[in-house]
Amino acid sequence: MAQRAGQKRKVVEVPRPEAEESEDELVNGEFDGALVDDGDSEEELSGEDSEGELEDDEDAEVELDSDEIPSSEDEEDVRQQLQDLKTSNGNTDVKQLGDDAGDEANYRITTDANGNPRYVYGEIDPAYDSDDSDAPATANTIGDIPLSYYDAYPHIGYDINGRRINRPAKGEALDSLLDSIDLPKGWTGLTDPTTGKALQLSREELEVLKKLTRNEVPGEGYDPYPDMVEYFTGKGMEEVMPLSAAPEPKRRFVPSMHEHKRVMKIVKAIREGRIKPYRAPTEEDKEREEAEAEFATYDVWANEQPQPDHIMNIPAPKLPPPGYEDSYHPPPEYLPDTDEKQAWEEQDEEDRDRDFLPRDHAALRKVPGYEKLIKEKFERCLDLYLAPRVRRSKLNIDPESLLPKLPDPAELKPFPTTCATVCKGHEGRVRTLAFDPSGKFVASGGDDGTVRVWDPVTGRQCWRIKLSSSEPVNVVSWRPGTDAFILAACCGETVHFIVPQGSVSSPDLEVASQELLDSGFGYAATNASKAPAGPDKPSSSAWSRPSAALQERGVLVTLTLHSPPKTLAWHRRGDYFTTVCPSTAAVSTAIAIHTLSKHQTQHPFKRLRGLAQSACFHPSKPLFFVATRQRIRIYDLQAQKLEKELQPGARWISGMSLHPLGSNLLVASYDKRLLWHDLDLGAMPYKTLRYHAKAIRSVAFHPSLPLFVDGSDDGTLQVFHGKVVGDSLENATVVPLKVLRGHRVARELGVLEVAWHPREAWAVSAGADGAVRVWT
Amino acid sequence: MGRIKKKGTSGATKNYITRSQAVRKLQISLPDFRRLCIFKGIYPREPRSKKRVSTSSTPSTTFYYTKDIQYLLHEPLLNKFRDQKALAKKISKALGRNEVSDAARFEKNLTPKLRLDHIIKERYPTFVDALRDLDDALSMLFLFANLPSTENVPPKIIAKCQRLTMEFEHYLIRTNSLRKSFLSIKGIYYQATIQGQDILWLVPYRFVQRTGGDVDFRIMATFVEFYTTLLSFVNFRLYTSIGLVYPPRFDAKSEEQGAELAAIQLEVQSGNADADMQDVTATQTNEKAQTEADRLLSLPDAEPSEEPQTNGDAAAEPVDGETETQDTSTTLDQFASLDPKADTLLQPSLTADASTASKLFESFTIFLSRETPRHPLEFILKAFGCKRVGWDTSLGEPGAYCSEDDKRITHQIVDRPDIPLPSPPLTDGEADMEDGEGGAVVRKSNERVPGRTYIQPQWVWDSINAGQLQRADLYAPGATLPPHLSPWVKAKRGEYDPTVPLAEQETAAEVEAAEAEEDEVDEEDADDALAEASEGEEIDGVRGDEEARALEDELEDEDGGMDVELAGSEDEEEDKPTDAAAGAADDDGDFGGFSDNEADADVDAATRAARDHQAELEAEATGKGVAAGKAGDKKKAAREVSQAKRTRAEREELEDVERRKMMMPRRKRKMYEKMVYSNARKDEEAEVLRAKKRKIEKGGGKKSKA
Repeated sequence: MAQRAGQKRKVVEVPRPEAEESEDELVNGEFDGALVDDGDSEEELSGEDSEGELEDDEDAEVELDSDEIPSSEDEEDVRQQLQDLKTSNGNTDVKQLGDDAGDEANYRITTDANGNPRYVYGEIDPAYDSDDSDAPATANTIGDIPLSYYDAYPHIGYDINGRRINRPAKGEALDSLLDSIDLPKGWTGLTDPTTGKALQLSREELEVLKKLTRNEVPGEGYDPYPDMVEYFTGKGMEEVMPLSAAPEPKRRFVPSMHEHKRVMKIVKAIREGRIKPYRAPTEEDKEREEAEAEFATYDVWANEQPQPDHIMNIPAPKLPPPGYEDSYHPPPEYLPDTDEKQAWEEQDEEDRDRDFLPRDHAALRKVPGYEKLIKEKFERCLDLYLAPRVRRSKLNIDPESLLPKLPDPAELKPFPTTCATVCKGHEGRVRTLAFDPSGKFVASGGDDGTVRVWDPVTGRQCWRIKLSSSEPVNVVSWRPGTDAFILAACCGETVHFIVPQGSVSSPDLEVASQELLDSGFGYAATNASKAPAGPDKPSSSAWSRPSAALQERGVLVTLTLHSPPKTLAWHRRGDYFTTVCPSTAAVSTAIAIHTLSKHQTQHPFKRLRGLAQSACFHPSKPLFFVATRQRIRIYDLQAQKLEKELQPGARWISGMSLHPLGSNLLVASYDKRLLWHDLDLGAMPYKTLRYHAKAIRSVAFHPSLPLFVDGSDDGTLQVFHGKVVGDSLENATVVPLKVLRGHRVARELGVLEVAWHPREAWAVSAGADGAVRVWT
Repeated sequence: MGRIKKKGTSGATKNYITRSQAVRKLQISLPDFRRLCIFKGIYPREPRSKKRVSTSSTPSTTFYYTKDIQYLLHEPLLNKFRDQKALAKKISKALGRNEVSDAARFEKNLTPKLRLDHIIKERYPTFVDALRDLDDALSMLFLFANLPSTENVPPKIIAKCQRLTMEFEHYLIRTNSLRKSFLSIKGIYYQATIQGQDILWLVPYRFVQRTGGDVDFRIMATFVEFYTTLLSFVNFRLYTSIGLVYPPRFDAKSEEQGAELAAIQLEVQSGNADADMQDVTATQTNEKAQTEADRLLSLPDAEPSEEPQTNGDAAAEPVDGETETQDTSTTLDQFASLDPKADTLLQPSLTADASTASKLFESFTIFLSRETPRHPLEFILKAFGCKRVGWDTSLGEPGAYCSEDDKRITHQIVDRPDIPLPSPPLTDGEADMEDGEGGAVVRKSNERVPGRTYIQPQWVWDSINAGQLQRADLYAPGATLPPHLSPWVKAKRGEYDPTVPLAEQETAAEVEAAEAEEDEVDEEDADDALAEASEGEEIDGVRGDEEARALEDELEDEDGGMDVELAGSEDEEEDKPTDAAAGAADDDGDFGGFSDNEADADVDAATRAARDHQAELEAEATGKGVAAGKAGDKKKAAREVSQAKRTRAEREELEDVERRKMMMPRRKRKMYEKMVYSNARKDEEAEVLRAKKRKIEKGGGKKSKA
């Protein structure tokens, strides 16, 4: 039974009934009723009911449809059946049918042989969709009442069988669901990789895809195996091969008689002169051709357009026009004399600056031909195509404009030019010298262990003292200020404070100086308890009175350090001074700052990078300059910190000198360079002067004039003008002025120390030859 | 890490290509490449750094610009060269088979004809460009026009060159565009101005040119080929621009008779002759033609009234009123600066204008004697407006305006020594009678016709260069000519200018040195007089005497050496090189400083004064008269003082320069030294010239005294 039902379903699905089948079913009787009335079917239906009401309608329709099928088939049979089954409403049915037929004009009514009306039915269109819903069957039997009456019920009425018609789930929920999943036409759920949008496929495309997945030929009408059409083969169409076995005809090997005849005809015509094979060019032609070749017949520049000059195009330079000496009758001063003539003739041809000798001819008729003209023109040709060309910019300016502007020499004066006096007396080198603050005396110290005081004007030795017999005097330095007259001299490890006596100084000054020197003892005595308690290091220096003999000579105080100091520089007030002992083993004690009034010694640096070479005080600010071998460091003594570091770039600094304004520093180095540092500018030198052939030993700024001088091992002093302007806008001008020669070079040492007079433009120099020279 | 860059693929290397690379790239032989380069005007370049440019290890000498060579690849001439090469192969093959006629036929029919028109257009996009580059072309063609025909130089080329150059000269005559000319020992230089372009060329004198051994005529021929094409196009353009037919009619027959310029007859373009006459009135040429025609019409009237010119200056007067009005409108006024310090503005020279140039010789009838160079004179005279030039029949028959006997002749150019002949006193009347008789009188070679100005050829050149007629008496036959000066030299400051008197150019030092020398010479003269007196007794040819004289000379020389000025000047000169050397040594920072010479000089002066004083005292003591020598001495002393002052000033200046030089960076210093060196060389040359001039003047003065 299930199978039957399945069959039936299948029949419903498949579009339409073959005649046989319907006949079959018709033969079987009312299949619809049987289906419906069957108890099984009942069961089935109830099952359907329980399943859901969605299909119910459909089923009902299906049943109705199948109801109608017979009417659409064989009309007569159907009518017969209807008459048989339901006689009561047969007429109406027929009438209905008739109405229908009238509408449709499906039949004609004719009279048959008996005179009865006869219905002749037309052909039924098989494509006619018979199961349309043109005539809706009343599914709900509730009649013509508003549906709102059933609002309170789960059903909406009753069907023809009296069963409830459940309210379909077509409420808002379903609608909204359906709306939300309202799929567009051709929706596939795939995305097109090329566009990124949803891939939409039409029905045909889907069909093709489906076929492809089934390995079928996608095209609709494509036949993969068409029948072969025989065009060239087959019966009656066999080709015949074109080869022939016939031998080559003779004419293929024999010259054509016909052609021969024609050629002979032409030959004859030529012989008779009737045909001219080649027209000899006439005179006119020749002339025309020649003229064309020889002379221009048109204007090349008819429509000229100037072209911008290319940057790489270098036109050939024109030959210079002839000068006076080219003339056939030049002015007599242009004629070479015998010497010049000879020199010219002896010169190599390439070296001559002129390729001819000017000659004088009294008259034009006497001028001979110029022999080298062709050669010259040929060389010009070679130059034109063979000589490499290059653009050279020619400087046509006054060379004077290149020279820098320098101050007038008259403005630079005064400066020392000559050696005024030579002070001789030292045995061995003079290591050091110094002008006293008043400018009256020069103190010097040398290898012989003596300190001498000279009169710079006369060269007379005013005073001398021998400090040591074995050790040289390394430094002499006058205490600045005119209130006292104290000379500090470093001999060996000892610093002697000397007040020269005799004609050199006045008694008042002497007394003042002695008091100044002695005051320290008093301070040391009163503050004796404080001194050791202070944070100072264990004092490596000792302030003491020298031997009586020395005291007699004027040496009042000695300060003993534990290594020989090489530099001694006073603070401008004369109370402090610094000593530098480069050779010390203890780096921390290399630099010491001493207080004369307290007899105190301080070592400002615990540690010092590099070997100390020199040190000095700033003339106005509390700055302290320390030169190591390669660096110069500037310390702020008040803030006790490093202010600046200079890098002169010298390998070994020998000495330095600070400009009296304090903004510029000169650094002398053993590697022959003198370096000018502008302290405002930076760590690098502003000017590097390298005019000495040997190491520079010392350099000094003039205390008041814009001068500085340096002394070198090559035995010369060089005097420069170095003008520093107060404001920092203008750079310093440095002008070399003078080389002072005079010192002899002794054992590769020349000038060891230079110094300036405090006011005049006088320089003094200490030479290794044992002389002190004063330059004015 | 990227790939290691290959050498020579970028930068300056790509810009340059060596010659062998270029030849390989073009696939032609070296001679063909040479021809191509000459035709196309391609030349090697000097790269800024040769080392950076060359890709090979060997140093290559010539570099071409790569784009030039790239450009050559598309040259139509390349194909012609290849055709030529193929033809050469064919011919050699035929000759190898002994088929001489075939070879001849090949050569006749297949030889490709080179056309250089497109190259002309390429190299000179505008006509002015071509004019700018015409110097070399004209010099070359004029040289070839004057060459003898040899196997290297076929007569056809010579004839062509002659014809082209003559056409060009005709244009210059027609438009009066010749501006300057100069007789040099190499030949005659001409300068013309066409469309604002100055063209300068050299025409050799008419002598057989000696062809040296190492001249490659193939190269010259290539250049000539190009230049002839260029000049023919230029001529075409020039001729058509003034409404003439090109090529002009060339009369080969009269050319054979030596007509030279007259062998070419200019024709006015028939089609647009009328149009020309009307619309080109603005151009000078037609104006010229018009005035010329007017003048020719008025000529017979003017001629009898024309006075024979004795002085050329008068000839500058205008002939008739028409030209006078023109004069007032066109000629420039001369602006003379009143304040010598003010700037002087340059004015174009008098001959810079075609209208003035056309009037220079306009009113003259000039006859060229047999010994003068006819062609250049005829060309120049005609170019400067002289329409009537006659010459001796021995110089060529056709074209001469008149014979020597013609009485219309105003000037005769002669170039022969003036041997005074007792000329029969001919009066004008007699001359007329002679003319009436037919002029068959045979004159002697040096005979003068009264009423004519006889001048040497240089007068013509000097007149055109000056822009006005020169004094004819300076150029009379047999007279010593004034020096012939080049019109192109513009005197610069500090250079020697022969046209300015020596006194204006000399420096103070030179003047003083000259004076000193003069004094010395005076003394020497006295010595010489003494010597002559003694020499009179001496017997010449004795060896001992000669030696003695040499010794004497030496002593004299020493005397001269003792002279302070000379020593000073010598020192100066010596100082200069040493200073230069010092400057060179300055590179490593040497510093000369101030020398002490200043003081020395002072000391010298002081000692000298002291010595003089001492001498005076001594003289007084001995009672001898120093007075004789005193005046001279005083003069000398004054000079010495001034000299010392000057030398000191110079030295100071030198020191100053040295100091300033020391403050210069090295590069700048080197440049400065170079410039100073070149300036010094020029100064030296000028100095030498001035010294020579002084000597000559002095010599002349002495001679005149004697």
